[in-house]
Amino acid sequence: MNKIMHPIEPEELMAYVEGELTAVRANAAAAHLVECEECQGLIADLRTVSQSLQAWKVEAPKTAPSAAIATALTEHRPASQNVAPGRRIWREVLGKRWPAVALAGAVAAILLVVISAPPLQRRGSNYAYSTVGQADTVDSAVVRAPAPAPPAAAAAPGNGLDKLRQSAKLQSPARRESKAWLQNQSPEEHDLSATAPMIIRTADLSLIAKEFDKARAQLEAILKRHRGYVGELKVNDSTGSGRTLTATLRVSSDQLGALLTEVKMLGRVDSESQSGQDVTSQYVDLQARLSNARNTEQRLIDLLRNRTGKLSDVLEVEQELDQVRGQVEQMEAERKNMANQVSFATLNVTIAEDYKAQLQVVPPSTSTRLSNAAVEGYRSMADGVVSLLLFLLSTGPSLLLWGAILFFPARMVWKRVRSSLAS
Amino acid sequence: MVAAGVEIVEIMISDEALMAEFQGGSQEAFEELFARYRGPLYGFFRRRLRGDQRADDLTQETFLAVIRASARYEPRALVRTYLYAIAMNLLAAERRKLFRDSPPGKIAPEPASHDAPDAVLWIRQALERLDEPEREILMLREYEQLSYAEIAELMKLPVNAVRSRLFRSRMALKGYLEPERKTADTAATGVAESVKQARAESEAI
Repeated sequence: MNKIMHPIEPEELMAYVEGELTAVRANAAAAHLVECEECQGLIADLRTVSQSLQAWKVEAPKTAPSAAIATALTEHRPASQNVAPGRRIWREVLGKRWPAVALAGAVAAILLVVISAPPLQRRGSNYAYSTVGQADTVDSAVVRAPAPAPPAAAAAPGNGLDKLRQSAKLQSPARRESKAWLQNQSPEEHDLSATAPMIIRTADLSLIAKEFDKARAQLEAILKRHRGYVGELKVNDSTGSGRTLTATLRVSSDQLGALLTEVKMLGRVDSESQSGQDVTSQYVDLQARLSNARNTEQRLIDLLRNRTGKLSDVLEVEQELDQVRGQVEQMEAERKNMANQVSFATLNVTIAEDYKAQLQVVPPSTSTRLSNAAVEGYRSMADGVVSLLLFLLSTGPSLLLWGAILFFPARMVWKRVRSSLAS
Repeated sequence: MVAAGVEIVEIMISDEALMAEFQGGSQEAFEELFARYRGPLYGFFRRRLRGDQRADDLTQETFLAVIRASARYEPRALVRTYLYAIAMNLLAAERRKLFRDSPPGKIAPEPASHDAPDAVLWIRQALERLDEPEREILMLREYEQLSYAEIAELMKLPVNAVRSRLFRSRMALKGYLEPERKTADTAATGVAESVKQARAESEAI
């Protein structure tokens, strides 16, 4: 064994595998690891140790925040000037009794939901009946369909996490866990979702609608109801054929199924397709690379902060830091884009008008025919006169010239013919 | 439901942004931080102390300390490092208290559970054979998933020292977990020796 075989320290190899090695050394480590079986064995051993340690799992914590935390939180108002004026007024009015008021509000909201549930269910059954019934009543049934009920927790005042959720319109594992805390659910149920796949969902739908304008208006209403937005919309209205609407709709992935069902009712389905691209591994990989880059950035910042050295060294670290920051920003943008693609499904919808060409066979009246004939006769006469004039004007000078030239020879010939006949 | 897999996607608000919001008076931000770190901090204490109740109490105390010290918090380090620094201080205080209260020579091994599987017992025994700082570094890396820099900050050590100790502790643990194998002929020592030999040769040249 010599240095050529092992140019990298074993602990550097370990750091490389964990994404904790600088870029320059990481390249060397990667190159060496590819060709050195001994080091590959070392890495395998380290992985085995880590995997063995993961067998020691800890149960999830059972309790909610203690009373001491709740009290400290209530007393914690270090920057009351940052509190919105409206909220400040509420706090001043409610004082320390806000938990009780919030509880009362939650109870009131639950009662409201319970009381209003039967009418909602009845309306839902009507909707189902309408959709099964005649096609003409489907559209009105869709419009009358009850909107999705808002989360009951959102109605409770003081529940700030739900406000955050509403503003983000998305849910994370951590927020789901916090929701579980609020609802006394076991966090283990929600931990399972952390391993769920991330899928970019896309659907294509082609429809033929009898009433184009109505279908378009209803499409916008459906989209609004599902809190979606139009990515792109085009309407083509060419003569001799029906109108065509082509739209790219973006809607929260969990709403795609319901949106498809409702959009299909706008007309006769010509074609439909759905696809899903699993990007779980790409996302996880991206997050890992992002984490590594951030660690590197932090180390460089620490290096700049704590170490003193030559100006050239400092500048070199600055350059490296700029490069790493650029990578972090690029990866962050990529991650956000991917998350957006996953959280918002795409529906490409084409609605073509059911076009019926109209054959107009109406015989004209006699007066119209006489009038038409008179107009045609006058037009023909005028055209003839104009044509003659044009002919004379165009050929008259030439005819006069040739007449003048040929007149005297013709006259002499004629006289001779007459004299010979007379004799 | 078809959307079960996509609900997890989120443009996550960073811990530092949440902490800043909490400093500004937002209780929601604190609730979010609590939800994120309740489990990890509980695991931190649970693996280092006896009894789940005490681990839970100390987790709560950590967050209580965050609330009380929020006015003094400065975003010089990651919130995660800040939380684990508080947790380590509380752990040290707890250990001192246990040492004071227990009669000399009768301090039981800290993490003990009767219903733990054999594999877990085996791992804990192997970890207890490591030196205290090395064990702590290894556990912070393996269970708390902290970076080398974060561990270095918590342990007040240079990053290179953290890396070396982490490597040593892992190789030692490998030997403890597989006692039948002789550690002398492991790949690690072979590689380390070869590097030393190469260095000696280059110096001689």
